[in-house]
Amino acid sequence: MAQKRIKKELNDFGRDPPANCSAGPVGDDLFHWQATIMGPTDSPYYRGVFFLTINFPTDYPFKPPKVAFTTRIYHPNINSNGSICLDILRGQWSPALTISKVLLSICSLLTDPNPDDPLVPEIARMYKTDRDKYYKVAKEWTEKYAQ
Amino acid sequence: MNTATGTSSPSNDDRQAPNDEDQNGMYECNICLETATDPVVSMCGHLFCWSCLHQWLETRPNRPTCPVCKAGISKDKVIPIYGRGNPNPQDPREKLPPRPAGQRSEPETSNPFQNFGFGGDGNFQFSFGIGAFPFGMFASTFNLNDGRPGPPLPNSPQQIEEQFLSKVFLWVAVIFIFWLLIA
Repeated sequence: MAQKRIKKELNDFGRDPPANCSAGPVGDDLFHWQATIMGPTDSPYYRGVFFLTINFPTDYPFKPPKVAFTTRIYHPNINSNGSICLDILRGQWSPALTISKVLLSICSLLTDPNPDDPLVPEIARMYKTDRDKYYKVAKEWTEKYAQ
Repeated sequence: MNTATGTSSPSNDDRQAPNDEDQNGMYECNICLETATDPVVSMCGHLFCWSCLHQWLETRPNRPTCPVCKAGISKDKVIPIYGRGNPNPQDPREKLPPRPAGQRSEPETSNPFQNFGFGGDGNFQFSFGIGAFPFGMFASTFNLNDGRPGPPLPNSPQQIEEQFLSKVFLWVAVIFIFWLLIA
């Protein structure tokens, strides 16, 4: 079931890839993918290329995939390990979601951080109190790590 | 749907007929993304394989929601879809509970008293049981024979005897009813 569905997603992804995203298996293991996200234009991550790893559980799609950034990024909901605080990757996961939709959600999280449910409280505080400084640091990190 | 799924089973290839592409996934299960087998539809209108939906409901039994729209969902409230043919006879249904049966509700009627016992030919009937009681008893006594005997030949001793007996019982009945009336 899981393997068949992942294959199906891979084909659908190739046929209709979401904007600014790419993804595919690493080597022969269908359960382990690598993805890239181009930083959205209206964000400090613009012109950055961010790499992510995707690990599918054996009971996918009934359990969410494990998605993490491998490229460092300055964001209130992404910590230094690359862990992403996103509801659909945890309790709000649904088997009707696909990797394509997950990547789109991550893209929109880059554009619109959620400082009320932060993974890195300091960045969230800066995002709320000094938006310009947050933007500046995030842009610096993008230039430093993602280009 | 595509040639890249080269290792998929033959039955799967059968289901993915060329014209399936034109349907644009209209009949794909929202969980496995294949054409739904043993299809069921939720009250919110989303299509699933029964096996897929069942597994999802088992995964999260305390908060069952529709995978697509997060509406409340339950096993009792999904509707099976019965097509004309049996698309996949070797489907591993035996490992799963069967799909919930379709429910057929009676059409609405305009008579508001239909469900009350007093109206029409409803359930509220008196039966005059005590008067018929002795006949019932004698009848069951006769029925102890092996099966019901056919009608006796006319003017045979058996027929004369039966006519006598029926007259006796008729008088017994008349006397019994008379006794009931004067008692």
